[in-house]
Amino acid sequence: MRARGLFILVIAAAAAAGFGMPHLLPGYLVNILTEALIFGLFAMSLDLMIGYTRLESFGHAAAYGLGAYASALLLLSFDIPMLIVIPMAAIITGVVAMPIAWVCTRSTGISFAMLTLAFAQLFYASVYQFKDFSGGSDGIAGIARRAGPFGIDFFQTKIGYFYLVLIILILSFLFCRSLVASPFGQVLAGIRENEVKTRTLGYNTRAYRMVIVVLAYAFGGLAGALYAPLAGFASPELFFWRMSGMVLIMVIIGGRGTLVGPILGGAVFLFLEHELSALPMVRELWPLIFGSIFIAVILFAPQGLWGLFRSWREKRRIGVVSKPQSDAPHAAS
Amino acid sequence: MDFLGFLITQCLNALSQASVLLFLACGLTLIFGIMRIINFAHGAIFMLGAYVGHTIVVLTGQFWLALIAAPLVVAGIGALFEMFLLSRLYARRDGGAYLMITFGLAIVLSEAVRLIWGAQPKGIDLPEVLTGVVFLLDQPFPIYRLFLIGLGVSASIALWQFLERTRTGLLIRAVSQNPEMVHALGTDIRIVRTGVFALGCGLAAFGGILATPLFGAYLAMGNNVVVDAFVIVIIGGMGSFLGSVIGSIMVGFVQVFGAYYFPSMALSLLYLLMLTVLIVRPGGLLGKEE
Repeated sequence: MRARGLFILVIAAAAAAGFGMPHLLPGYLVNILTEALIFGLFAMSLDLMIGYTRLESFGHAAAYGLGAYASALLLLSFDIPMLIVIPMAAIITGVVAMPIAWVCTRSTGISFAMLTLAFAQLFYASVYQFKDFSGGSDGIAGIARRAGPFGIDFFQTKIGYFYLVLIILILSFLFCRSLVASPFGQVLAGIRENEVKTRTLGYNTRAYRMVIVVLAYAFGGLAGALYAPLAGFASPELFFWRMSGMVLIMVIIGGRGTLVGPILGGAVFLFLEHELSALPMVRELWPLIFGSIFIAVILFAPQGLWGLFRSWREKRRIGVVSKPQSDAPHAAS
Repeated sequence: MDFLGFLITQCLNALSQASVLLFLACGLTLIFGIMRIINFAHGAIFMLGAYVGHTIVVLTGQFWLALIAAPLVVAGIGALFEMFLLSRLYARRDGGAYLMITFGLAIVLSEAVRLIWGAQPKGIDLPEVLTGVVFLLDQPFPIYRLFLIGLGVSASIALWQFLERTRTGLLIRAVSQNPEMVHALGTDIRIVRTGVFALGCGLAAFGGILATPLFGAYLAMGNNVVVDAFVIVIIGGMGSFLGSVIGSIMVGFVQVFGAYYFPSMALSLLYLLMLTVLIVRPGGLLGKEE
């Protein structure tokens, strides 16, 4: 009951904020909000791996970059409407992720993190290598949001695109939420808590890990595919390890294993960064402050801000001081 | 052009490149081998070493002093970080937390460097002895690069002897195998951990100063080089000292010869090499699979 109440609250708040806000804001702010939502979606996709399966990927930028480049190249090279290109780019990212998942899931823990990093860096290097195809360091510019099918073109305006992203984010969230609550998700939680035990119970844990890596890449690719038409631009920086690190930070600060936390973490971070950049004093210090906040969260709130909020609610509801939280996050909200 | 002379020059270039990378990679592999910590701040620490070295050279005009003092300063900062922040995470036994807190440190350090030293690249002037070139088979070759090779060789032998032959080295290796047992036998492993982390940071800072006369000190230098160091340590096998020596040499050669023969592919070659090694031997050349 509690989870349902919270869930409805979040969706309602998102919808209310989403559907009311853009009309009250200047255009550039709508674009920033849209980007914030896209980043939230990106962070959520990584949470599938980190929070639910304890697969600490340090190369999730690969998914974002792949999605962005796939949608950019499809839009520029073929006469396909954007609404079809975006899911295509997500699927392409998922397909490319299959061999990656096969290689990376051979190991776990730190080796897994390093392998995912290696793939992301390989893509980063490839962008420079295949200049004719990818534009090299210039990236790809001039990506247009092609209308259709059936003459649908609401997303060509800033506000329209915001709604499109909001709807895709909510649908993706609903999908991921039911995924982690499903029997499949329970096996993932089993892998997170104790992989050997889960394997002993007869589950092919490597297959499960491969599936979740592919899914996480596909959703990351979806976020990237939404980003390219928004920015009108795709650059090799999307693949760089700093991007992977940033999104990892968003997941941790927001609260891994909660889906909502990373969405909020990613969105709020991006929004704050854009807003604070306007203030000259803060712009200089922002990365420093942000890095310090990140260190503090890891030290004092390993379950993240959303996890902190949730355990506070829990305590209030029960009315007693609950036993100390383990580091492992809860599975379902 | 004399092909033999060219080949020798390129090989020496590769080895001098490998020497700089070696200091970085050894620090990284030492910290990982003993503490099971992936130090993502290693690139930032490398950069910090370069900038501190620059300041010491500017203030005193002594390159040799900077070469010794800057690593000590940076090692001190590393020790403080380990004592006050990192040590709080040991009880959690969560490799991911280390990765993330050191990533946070990397951000804080690079921003601090940008605020203190500004965005302008800095250089270090070499003392007279190390400037100029020597002629090898009629090919000019910078003395400084020969100095780097000598330093790399002697430092790896010294470190290896330190780890294998001294009592402290024995203790360090013991901690890497079974920290609880070492602790139970009466050694305070907290000191060993702090010391190892500081040593690793000092080695990275040393590499940072050595790289500055070649490439200058600039803000992205840590970001660019940290991934190289990871590639080396992963190729060699995480925690294997000999492995990271071999890895440094391999990466040095791939970088120098790749840049010459396949300039467009140089970057990809590095990651392809790493992936190939990992697919064939998931634990690296000399490492154990985790």
